[in-house]
Amino acid sequence: MTQAAFFSLVAGALSGIAIYGLITQRHLLRRILAVNVLGNSVFLLLVALARRDPDYVDPVPHAMVLTGIVIAVSATAFALVLARRYYSETGLTHLPEDEE
Amino acid sequence: MTEWAFDALLAGGLLGLAWQIVASRVLFRSVVLFIVFGLLMAVTWARLHAPDLALAEAAIGAGITGALLLSAYRAFLSRRGTDPGPPPVFPRWAAVGVAALVGALVGGIGWVVVGLEPPEQTAGREALAHLAISGVENPVTAVLLNFRSIDTLSEVVVLFVAFLAARVVAQDLAHAGPGDWLRASRNEPVLVQPLIAFIAPMTVLAAGYLLWSGEHQPGGAFQAGAVLAALGVLLRLTGRLRPTSEPSLAERLSLVGGVVLFSAIGLAGAGVASAVLAYPEGWEYELILLVETALTIAIALPLVLLFSGSGGLRREVR
Amino acid sequence: MTLLETLTVILVSVGGLFFLTGTIGLLRFPSSFSRLHALTKADNVGLGFIACGLALQAESVWVAMKILLVWGVALIAATVSAHLIARFTLRAAGGSRRTPP
Repeated sequence: MTQAAFFSLVAGALSGIAIYGLITQRHLLRRILAVNVLGNSVFLLLVALARRDPDYVDPVPHAMVLTGIVIAVSATAFALVLARRYYSETGLTHLPEDEE
Repeated sequence: MTEWAFDALLAGGLLGLAWQIVASRVLFRSVVLFIVFGLLMAVTWARLHAPDLALAEAAIGAGITGALLLSAYRAFLSRRGTDPGPPPVFPRWAAVGVAALVGALVGGIGWVVVGLEPPEQTAGREALAHLAISGVENPVTAVLLNFRSIDTLSEVVVLFVAFLAARVVAQDLAHAGPGDWLRASRNEPVLVQPLIAFIAPMTVLAAGYLLWSGEHQPGGAFQAGAVLAALGVLLRLTGRLRPTSEPSLAERLSLVGGVVLFSAIGLAGAGVASAVLAYPEGWEYELILLVETALTIAIALPLVLLFSGSGGLRREVR
Repeated sequence: MTLLETLTVILVSVGGLFFLTGTIGLLRFPSSFSRLHALTKADNVGLGFIACGLALQAESVWVAMKILLVWGVALIAATVSAHLIARFTLRAAGGSRRTPP
């Protein structure tokens, strides 16, 4: 098994764990954490695929992931602001549609 | 053999941490372990021959995101005690099923693509073959700022929009950011001032080095911007920067400067060079350096302001 | 294995041992202060051993100096964060009047 294949399997397992957390956890902060883990698993898949040809390292996925890391932190920051505002308005740490 | 042992340990660490992050009973533990997860991701990028990503992940993924999460955690904590929340409405077995499906899908895609015969012609090969005309020697920088500069331009716009949206949603200063601003006082721990006196110039130096060396080795505007943002977070937390609701003129100019300059050079490319976002021949290096410098500030400032939860920052003399 | 490589292996292994003891201390010690004691002492020395071991493998003197610089910066950061954690713990325990700095 090559390193690329190994880490794409790890990326798969990570995304599974993240989706599990996203579904079962209801605290907003935990959901944001789970989405971040999910994003990292996709990054890992892309970077692992950049290594599939042993001759060279593909710079295009690296550039995509570098862009993605900054987008992820922007989205996380905005999500945290939304969650904080929601919490201070309602006093709830989870979304209302999660009620029965 | 030892390489495999290292990769296996790394993978085990990543998976164990991810599980703790999503399943740990204590929220604070999850947040702290997410920061550790970011650091392990940085090591993973280094193992996968992506040093540019390792630098960015250590500074942004673990550093800035960690600071944002901790400050949000504190806000959730401050009103009342930790609220365990209602139990999940979704049956656990169904969650396990969906998660297994998604994991198999993602892992399966990777496994299949790795197994395919690699194509002769890929964008990456093209980029490497034309590195000489890009004006820079680091292939990742070449892709980011020359071959696919539209992505980078859009990304800075996304960061700016996230900042604007956060300003719309955020409440007054007392409820945003890492809590009330405290003037750095005489009661401050003795080691803080020497630390800042040492770290601040070192950080600016490191950011400048990263920016300049991104031309031929790992580094560039993203990493430099993240390092500068980390300095801003430190100065904000220690009371050296006071949050204000309105940005100053200089801050406004810096916030939009990256996008405006990048767009202007890109549009000028339609006339002077071959296409929009193309650089005129012979001027690639100079223009890329100029754009990267503006981008460094346009990345650092929104990140600090997002952390600070304010529209602007003022220098505060102790 | 050359002499230099042997030396690197020895230094890095010793560094790893220091990290191991520091981590055992972190996990087993009862209070914040004793944990800090274990971490700040053992880990910083361990990092120093590892940095020295790796500096021997550096391709140029500049790279070796950069590795040692990393150690220096980590030492400074560890000093300040240990001080802040200890100060916070002391204050949380009600010792604020005895701690002017």
